[in-house]
Amino acid sequence: MIIKYLRSAHLAVAATAVVGTLALSGCVASNPGGTEGGNGSASAAFLTIPREDMGTFSRNFNPFSPNAAPMTGQSIYESMLVYNPAGGDTVPWLATDWKVGKDGKSLTFNLRENVKFSDGTPLTSKDVKLSVELQKKLLGGYDYVQSIKTPDESTVEFTFKKAFTPALYELGQQVIVPAHIWSKFKKPGNEENPKPVGTGPYTEVANFQAQSFELGKNPNYWQADKQKLGGIRMLAFAGNDGANLAAISGDVDWTQTYMPDIQSTYVAKDPEHRHFWFPTTGAEINWQLNTTKKDFSDVRVRKALSMAVDREQVTKVGMSGYAKPADCTGLSGNYDKWRDAAVVEKCDWTKRDVEGAKKLLDEAGYKENAKGQRTTPSGKAFTFDISVGSSSTDWLSVANIIAQNLQDVGIKATVDSPDWASVTAGYETGEFDTGIVWTANAPTPYQYYLNLMGSQNVKPVGKQTFDNYHRFSDKKADELLSKFVSTSDEGEQKQVVNDLQARYSELAPVVPLFAGPEWGAYTTEHFVGWPTEENPYATLSNRAPTTVLVLTSLEPAN
Amino acid sequence: MSFLLRRLGFYLLAFWASITLNFLLPRLMPGDPVTRMLSRSQQRLEPQQVEALRTMMGVDGGPIIPEYFAYLGRILTGDFGMSISRFPTPVSEVIASQLPWTLLLGLTSLIIAVILGNLLGILAAWRRGGFLDSVAPPLLVFIGSFPYFWLAMGALYIFGINMGVAPMSHAFSVGLVPGFNLVFILDVAAHLILPALTIVLVSLGGWMLGMRNTMIATNSEDYILMAEAKGLRPHRIMLNYAARNAMLPSVTSMGMSIGFIVGGALLTEVVFAYPGVGYQLLGAVQGLDYPLMQGMFLTITAAVLIANFLVDLVYVRLDPRVRKG
Repeated sequence: MIIKYLRSAHLAVAATAVVGTLALSGCVASNPGGTEGGNGSASAAFLTIPREDMGTFSRNFNPFSPNAAPMTGQSIYESMLVYNPAGGDTVPWLATDWKVGKDGKSLTFNLRENVKFSDGTPLTSKDVKLSVELQKKLLGGYDYVQSIKTPDESTVEFTFKKAFTPALYELGQQVIVPAHIWSKFKKPGNEENPKPVGTGPYTEVANFQAQSFELGKNPNYWQADKQKLGGIRMLAFAGNDGANLAAISGDVDWTQTYMPDIQSTYVAKDPEHRHFWFPTTGAEINWQLNTTKKDFSDVRVRKALSMAVDREQVTKVGMSGYAKPADCTGLSGNYDKWRDAAVVEKCDWTKRDVEGAKKLLDEAGYKENAKGQRTTPSGKAFTFDISVGSSSTDWLSVANIIAQNLQDVGIKATVDSPDWASVTAGYETGEFDTGIVWTANAPTPYQYYLNLMGSQNVKPVGKQTFDNYHRFSDKKADELLSKFVSTSDEGEQKQVVNDLQARYSELAPVVPLFAGPEWGAYTTEHFVGWPTEENPYATLSNRAPTTVLVLTSLEPAN
Repeated sequence: MSFLLRRLGFYLLAFWASITLNFLLPRLMPGDPVTRMLSRSQQRLEPQQVEALRTMMGVDGGPIIPEYFAYLGRILTGDFGMSISRFPTPVSEVIASQLPWTLLLGLTSLIIAVILGNLLGILAAWRRGGFLDSVAPPLLVFIGSFPYFWLAMGALYIFGINMGVAPMSHAFSVGLVPGFNLVFILDVAAHLILPALTIVLVSLGGWMLGMRNTMIATNSEDYILMAEAKGLRPHRIMLNYAARNAMLPSVTSMGMSIGFIVGGALLTEVVFAYPGVGYQLLGAVQGLDYPLMQGMFLTITAAVLIANFLVDLVYVRLDPRVRKG
């Protein structure tokens, strides 16, 4: 026992000494501020990307899982085409071309020749058929698909129950998995797929750790000349701060996290190499008003509330100047080629106009009382809540700014910010006053307007719905929407969307705020060939369909 | 021996009670895991897609009693089901892949904090009113009462960014392949410096104060006076007689702390990007991931109970008075 205590005293001294030595050795073992392991040496370097929402990685490369490891659908598996929202173009990928049937009820894809999976098996139409069927079975969707035929190895023919033109992008951007592997799984949804086989550029999983993993080159890739990276290395972080710190220290090449004041925190540290680009092609962010409530069912009230919002302040202060104020079409930058200039010209309800707002409210019967507060026609004070999730600090500022703006027209609004799960639960059952909400951002404006004005997803208050939370529908909009899906003539589609925009501007189903930016920043220290504003061949998102375009365009810097 | 058997029986009962509570509590929380998962990532799915996800993950609601017995059966075979927030990775794999790092960080910090804290407490109590006693307890408690998050970020800023003496994130240098070689072990140790340092700083005050107070009480005992009268060297009395008796409460606290290590150090993981189960547990609770939550809580419960049992065993060796009772 005596010796034990003497030992523990010595142990303490020894422990301190060891810690000290380790501290010194630490300076030797790690390279401060730099990446390690042969980067930039004779073999091509690894593209290093941080991932801030997972904490640690699990070896799950199942593309049908909602929690698959990063780069599963972008670098391991590919799709038949890629829609680029930044440039508005569609890039043929695993399919070289496609044909829509005359009545819009069929769609035929011609697959590219000589495409092989990473295990050497050629890609055939059977793989496409199985992928679509698996997606439908496991995750639902594709209800409009009636049958899938594979007349030969490189042709896939889809027939639909009724005309549905957006099917081109839905089917076109479906990830394709190898049938010879996936048809053998008894429960494909439960497969972890630790050694994935795909057609993508970097498929070989290596050095998989909880904190990082690497993807090596696909030995049988169909664009071998475009595989200029040594591989991809993903790093796990538990939050934006860790990922941003890694980006600022130069440990990663490409990041997609929101960085406040990016010019001085990130770019200024290495202005020669570091760049950022935030195209406003993200989803439009709206302030939705629950139209099942009497106050918000009046279009004059909705437009008046819209006129009270100072969108310049919202985007400058709330979104650090990175977002763009909305116009009367409610369309984000993703739909620039659909935007109707005529509607934008005549726009009068998305600009700050306090006098106009007051006039409209008076007209609708919401007069100011002696104390300067607005009252409803029934005499009660006109107050309501604005819901927003507490973890989105930028939207929280936006909600606070709106509440301040509303004071100028005599309305008292309170910002209610529990966590997103309860906010969304309130949206789904229709038990909310107003709230900040995201929108659909598919390649065509169909889903966007469907969820704002279509009756398809409207459910009564109390019944759960996953779209059209504000529960607004319009018959004319329904007509226009079904006209859109049934025609594949581009001119006709454009006319229908123009009419939809005009109807939207007339009805103001929601109050559009701003087009969300697609975050992205990179450094050219190790790799060049990034998409930019001048060359928008993709966005800077590393978890979108366009990511594979970037992966096949980058090359080492020297 | 019968003492040990009685203790063992008590622990088994406690284990059963905690398993049952473990099963009930997550299910009493409102909401449903699939919509939570979707709302957090702001994905939009059709209603039938949500239903399909629910069926795939097995949360489409069912009677609770058969589920409970199935759950008990699965526990005994070690099958904890599939995590929802990390679907379809099995829960045991999620926990097993991250637990080693949590244990490494937790045990290292705990052992250093306990040894240092207790030593400082012993010295402070022995020379009561001296320099160490006047300065160290208030200073350490003061440092310990800073919000841990703030302290961790401060340490990261000063030592990691400004001085550049320690690695700033992760458990080992990225790109290094783990193996039992000196390079890797030194690398892991280097990456442990900042996280362990911050945890030690925050907990040192508590250990020191506890040991010091117990030592002061022990110092007033008669046998210490007798030892001094007998002419034994002060150093020997301090360590072999006073400390040996005063450390019993410390041993109990240490046992409890070892058990809770497996809950993970959430804030350390967030600030230093250290892989571990803390962030997973937070994600599991927020996402209503029943299987992962149950797995984690079970692990924590088992660890605390085992640690307590081991402490009981050690206690019997250390304190002869317990053997009689």
